[in-house]
Amino acid sequence: MNQTSMKICLAGSAGGHLSQLLKIASAWSGYEVCWITTTEVVRASLGEQGNVHVVGECNRQHPVRVLRVFLRCLRILRRERPDVVISTGAAPGCMAAILGHLAGAKVIWLDSITNVNRLSLSGRLVRPFADLFLVQWPALARKYRGVEYVGAVI
Amino acid sequence: MIFLTVGTQFPFDRLVRAVDDFFDAYELDDEVFAQIGSSTYTPRHFEAVGVLDKEAFDRRFRQANAIIGHAGMGTITLALDCGKPLLAMPRRKKYGEVVNDHQVALADEFEALGHILVAHSASELAAKLTRLKVFTPQPRAASPDAVADRISWFVRSIDPG
Repeated sequence: MNQTSMKICLAGSAGGHLSQLLKIASAWSGYEVCWITTTEVVRASLGEQGNVHVVGECNRQHPVRVLRVFLRCLRILRRERPDVVISTGAAPGCMAAILGHLAGAKVIWLDSITNVNRLSLSGRLVRPFADLFLVQWPALARKYRGVEYVGAVI
Repeated sequence: MIFLTVGTQFPFDRLVRAVDDFFDAYELDDEVFAQIGSSTYTPRHFEAVGVLDKEAFDRRFRQANAIIGHAGMGTITLALDCGKPLLAMPRRKKYGEVVNDHQVALADEFEALGHILVAHSASELAAKLTRLKVFTPQPRAASPDAVADRISWFVRSIDPG
């Protein structure tokens, strides 16, 4: 790998978000990667390549956990210094994307297929900072400016 | 056999009870076997276990003629991947079954596309359960490669190396 090769941070909560992210693994082939996910159980499914960081679950109902996950994401991004953050959500992916943007990384967001009529809350928060924002329903791409539909991953 | 699976993380007594109550009034050729997770309702008409290990779960899923489950993406994709007819009941926030109502719109959209059957209530479940056996799910035409290619193209466009 040469010196200019980029590092890509892949952020997805365990479960549906991560399984959608894994469906597009060919997108980062050949690049150095690191992972941010939410539970230890899924560590094995991420393979040998790149550091796997487990930050724990959090959502709006638990502000203390949100803060803890936020600080962990901050520490991870300072250490890993990714050039690109790719995320499918949810809250931890949202934080990684926004923190990544603030640190100068490009942000790629793929909104989860479960969001049919409107973007996810995480997606809406990330949208102003995203360099590429993809959705999985054509109607969403018509509804939101700067949002692209090229297909669904599942 | 119809496999009833409600996930293991949160209880879903409304669905387990709705299937059980169905058998008060109707009969089916198929027996039901259920994985009810942390649900507390005890069905009178069929065998139910808490949590199956992955191997036993996969075996039940493959053996089943049809699946009844919540409208989670995991259950839906597994049913479509296995070509099993699925009758799904979306979990609802107002009953404390989930933190938001994201399953409702997804289920309706997938039903409109012919991928699954959806029941929002016990009465809808009874009506659709009799149709489940003859329901042929429309396979999903996903395009993960198109999404991966779009992202890959973007990544390469910003790669200075």
